[in-house]
Amino acid sequence: MTGTILRRLLSMLPVMGIVAICVFLLLHLAPGDPASIIAGENATPENIARIRTQLGLDQPVWKQFLVWLVALVQGDLGTSMFWGDPVSSLIAQRAEPTVSLAITTLLVAVFLAISIGVLAAAKAGSWIDRLVMGFAVLGFSVPVFVVGYVLIFVFAINLKWLPVQGYSPIADGLVLWLRNLVLPSIALGMAYVALIARITRTTMLDVLAEDYMRTARAKGVATRSMLFRHALKNAAVPIATIIGNGIALLIGGVVITETVFNIPGIGRLVVDAIARRDYPIIQGVIMVFSGVYVLVNLLVDLSYTLFDPRVRG
Amino acid sequence: MKTTRRTIMRTGMAAAGAAAAPGILTAQTRPPASRTIRAVMHGDIPTYDPIWTTANMSAYHGAMVYDQLFGVDDKLQPKPQMVSKYGVSDDQLTWTFELRDGLKFSDGSSVTAADAAASIRRWAVRSGTGQLMLQRLKDISTKDDKTFVVSLKERFPLLLDGFSSPSTPVLFVMRKKEAETDPMQKIDTIIGSGPFVMNQAETRAGSQYIYDKNPNYNPRNEPPSASAGGKVVKVDRVIFQNMPDSQTAVAALQAGEIDFYEIPPIDLLDQIQTDRNINLINLADLGTVGYIGLNWLHPPFDNKLLRQSLLYIVNQEEMMKPTFVDRKWYAACGGWMTCGSPMENDANTGWFKGGPNLAKAGELMKAGGYDGRPVVVLQATNIPYMMNAATVFAQQLRAAGYNVQLAPMDWANVVQRRANKGAPDQGGWNVFFTSSGGLSNANPYMIGGMATTGDKGWFGWPSDAKNEELRTKWINAPTLAERQAVGRELQENAWDIVPHMYYGQWRQPAAHRKNVTGWLKVPEAIPLWNVSKT
Repeated sequence: MTGTILRRLLSMLPVMGIVAICVFLLLHLAPGDPASIIAGENATPENIARIRTQLGLDQPVWKQFLVWLVALVQGDLGTSMFWGDPVSSLIAQRAEPTVSLAITTLLVAVFLAISIGVLAAAKAGSWIDRLVMGFAVLGFSVPVFVVGYVLIFVFAINLKWLPVQGYSPIADGLVLWLRNLVLPSIALGMAYVALIARITRTTMLDVLAEDYMRTARAKGVATRSMLFRHALKNAAVPIATIIGNGIALLIGGVVITETVFNIPGIGRLVVDAIARRDYPIIQGVIMVFSGVYVLVNLLVDLSYTLFDPRVRG
Repeated sequence: MKTTRRTIMRTGMAAAGAAAAPGILTAQTRPPASRTIRAVMHGDIPTYDPIWTTANMSAYHGAMVYDQLFGVDDKLQPKPQMVSKYGVSDDQLTWTFELRDGLKFSDGSSVTAADAAASIRRWAVRSGTGQLMLQRLKDISTKDDKTFVVSLKERFPLLLDGFSSPSTPVLFVMRKKEAETDPMQKIDTIIGSGPFVMNQAETRAGSQYIYDKNPNYNPRNEPPSASAGGKVVKVDRVIFQNMPDSQTAVAALQAGEIDFYEIPPIDLLDQIQTDRNINLINLADLGTVGYIGLNWLHPPFDNKLLRQSLLYIVNQEEMMKPTFVDRKWYAACGGWMTCGSPMENDANTGWFKGGPNLAKAGELMKAGGYDGRPVVVLQATNIPYMMNAATVFAQQLRAAGYNVQLAPMDWANVVQRRANKGAPDQGGWNVFFTSSGGLSNANPYMIGGMATTGDKGWFGWPSDAKNEELRTKWINAPTLAERQAVGRELQENAWDIVPHMYYGQWRQPAAHRKNVTGWLKVPEAIPLWNVSKT
């Protein structure tokens, strides 16, 4: 097992290398000038050119790439062109809101999606099944920001139950922390719930049609036990896979959700950085997000061994 | 020691407590909401050095933590702020300034004349007015800790206007140590003698900027008036929250989560006005001026007649209306300098008074030999007023017979591409849109776009010796009446050569909770002193 994990970790290196090259080239080939934005609207061309030199943007792209890559290999993500702060510390400052949002969304979404997916499979063809599938289509089709605005309008403006925006650190109290995360988690989780619920239903239907399930039913195993102890465990591998793959969806959604709900997380950091072409931040965040995505999928692969003894062998 | 479930739980709880402790302690020392103002401004602070950049948000930050030698009153007249008394010699070449007693930086050190002199020198290198002063400057010397002297080689009537101007870069006084930094290098140390102190420990760059009341600040014993008078702070803390989504910002204002929103979108004003807890307020009488940059280096607008043809095509009313909807927020303006400012006049504005005249435009296009080549218009799609104005502009030009190609892109891309002096079909451009503060535009020297210095000038690179002569004449005019007279001459010439154009003038109302009062009007800045919350 240890050998497998090490091999998989090593295989991450070329993936991250390719990500690094693509991110750098895409950003630097795209138009936009951070120096002009830093200098301000009334700046003279000379001032803009001077700032460009100070930022090293007058160097050839290959040279800028080498400088960045050497620093990256040493664990240095660079320095923000705007604030002059190290990108790693900016990401660290913004990590708590994003991790909180991702975890609450993941927990609520996985619990809810698997529950309604199993329910829909158990009641296949019934109005409950159609309701769940209708919700899944809706959840997957409506953009995160639309869900977000509707939730804000209903629950924050009209009912005044929850705050419109912002984030309260966990250190300021668990209740405050949760209050700020309820609406963003629902908005962000909608598509994720829809995705996992559909896969759960389909996989459960396949498993429920297996001979051993018929045998279990014939032996008089209780429905709940049959669904959750026998069928769900056998359906777990594709569900775990889609949860892992869906992390990309979650990361994309975090960026929008944090903007709509004004959560000062890594998603907001990168959106603001894109508007200003703050290359080191964009590159750093994408590298971190890519690393998280690859790691999560490694964990998903490893989780197969828990669900399927054949993989362990 | 035996490891049990209880010891693991205890250790875990202790570790969580230790990790959360700094945050909990910080939370306990925070001022209450009733003593805190949360404000959403128009953008993010790109750098904390307000001299190094002309970005307005850096000046907003500067007005919080630094003080000025002079401010402007509500009639835009210079008034002493850090200065207690000043005088000028009969030949107007020697200006002597004395600082007020009790001025202290946030590190506890006293503000001295040497700090002021170093700050003037650094500011002068980066400021348009300052550069004019430098050309005439003999020396800035200190007589004692409180007195400094500005000696000039020739008279400079705009000296106090420059010292007091709220247009960026603003002359903020820093410690000598920071002020002696190369003006081309950014300063990261934030120690000022202004009414607030930046709380850097709790500030999160890009998210929220926290300013606490400066206990060392010593305000003037006078009623406040714009950036002049007593800057009395009436709350404990001000937070600039960066909130890029306008819909969320309006919802947050309605819910009372923020107290002030500088730029509520015009299309949401009706929604805001129905809320009995919110007031709309106009904090900038001169507003903002929409600027149309024309490229003088390439056809067709390297041709004076074709530039003149635009005067008879462009309809500001049509360009403003899609964004600002109601005339109470916008106006068409035929002036070369801001309408409503002392420099407004009607010289050579027949084209404006007569309204669009496509027949006349056609004559000029024919005389100018327009050959149907594309006119490339840079369109910033992420700034609604620029995007809408460019769309209408393109249609107006097409109706007149120009072949227009809109080049949609985001603002970051516009500011890069407009610096390209190449031909429009080789990455260059013919027209771009931007805006500038009404106060800056009321002065032929405050913004680069007013210059006609050719290749060395601002984007568009217009070249005209007469305009430059008149600008110098304007600077040397000793009285306002004489400057107004030169202003007419400037405008007469400008609408003949058409260095650039305008797409209108607007006043963006700000929105605030009704329980937050005491807002002062300062052009191109939002002062947070004198503001109280009940």
